[in-house]
Amino acid sequence: MLIQYVLVASCISLLILFLRKRGSVRTAAGTKLAFVLFVMFGIYAVLRPEDVQAVAVWLGVGRGSDLLLYALVVVFTFATLNAYLRFKDIELRYARLTRAIALRNAEPPSAD
Amino acid sequence: MTDWSEVWLIVPVYDEGRVVGDVVRDVLRTFPNVVCVDDGSRDDSAAEIRRTGAHLVRHPVNLGQGAAIQTGLEYARARPDAQFFVTFDADGQHQVDDVVAMLDRLRTEDVDIVVGTRFHGDTSHIPWVKRAALKAVVRLSPCSRRLGLTDAHNGLRAFNRKVALQLNITLNGMGHASEIVRLMEYWNWRVAEEPVMIRYTDYAVAKGQSLVNGVNIVFETMLRNRAGL
Repeated sequence: MLIQYVLVASCISLLILFLRKRGSVRTAAGTKLAFVLFVMFGIYAVLRPEDVQAVAVWLGVGRGSDLLLYALVVVFTFATLNAYLRFKDIELRYARLTRAIALRNAEPPSAD
Repeated sequence: MTDWSEVWLIVPVYDEGRVVGDVVRDVLRTFPNVVCVDDGSRDDSAAEIRRTGAHLVRHPVNLGQGAAIQTGLEYARARPDAQFFVTFDADGQHQVDDVVAMLDRLRTEDVDIVVGTRFHGDTSHIPWVKRAALKAVVRLSPCSRRLGLTDAHNGLRAFNRKVALQLNITLNGMGHASEIVRLMEYWNWRVAEEPVMIRYTDYAVAKGQSLVNGVNIVFETMLRNRAGL
């Protein structure tokens, strides 16, 4: 099916993009591994939807697409929370930077 | 006349140009050391403060009241002679007399931090919505209850050098009040409450925190608790 080519291609390009963009050493290796696994699962799910279907039935979810939807919701929630916490952390660093600048430029009262 | 040269008042200022000049001049009649933190105001607050004789520290961008208090605190505690610190709102709702009473308690009693409370005696001057909201916040906060605090979100606080050195506010916005309460328990500061008068002028009411912001505070505090200190 044509859709399979499209989806597999987009999975692979996503992987390439991810590995190229985040070249920094600090990027958590765990995230990368998880992403690679995710892409591989994606390709697999596209090529063998009947297997996903089988897993869904085994888990008691009825349809493979429903299983994917549930998984998506969980992953999305996790990612959102993660982004929120990260954002808070960056906000704090930003505040400390601003504070350092502010304290350096402090103006004592003019003598009069 | 008592000598107040070892006391520092920390005044976070955000868009208070209309009133901050008068408020600070009034405070300076009693307390010689005032540091105003202009939190990236868009109005002429900074110019007004420069005319008063207070120290001015300016955030190049707006961060929030919690961050402004922390900045003022770090400025003040760098002064070797600073022994007592007071957080004071710029909108004129706090009274200098109350600050004097709180500092007297800090000097004479065995306490580290004195927090103002609006809920002693007659509370009819507080708008009822505000009253209900503030009580709800106290009820929702296990820390406040354990410490016996009745008004966790009062902006008027006085504390000694020990507290000043340990205090590290990480919540930039309005969640800092709850954060301070949590730190009281964490560091085992001896806490006392002092009844204070809040002047609810139309200006102060219009500038005050909206109740909607209460939702933000609760959410911020909960997440911060999960994520640890």
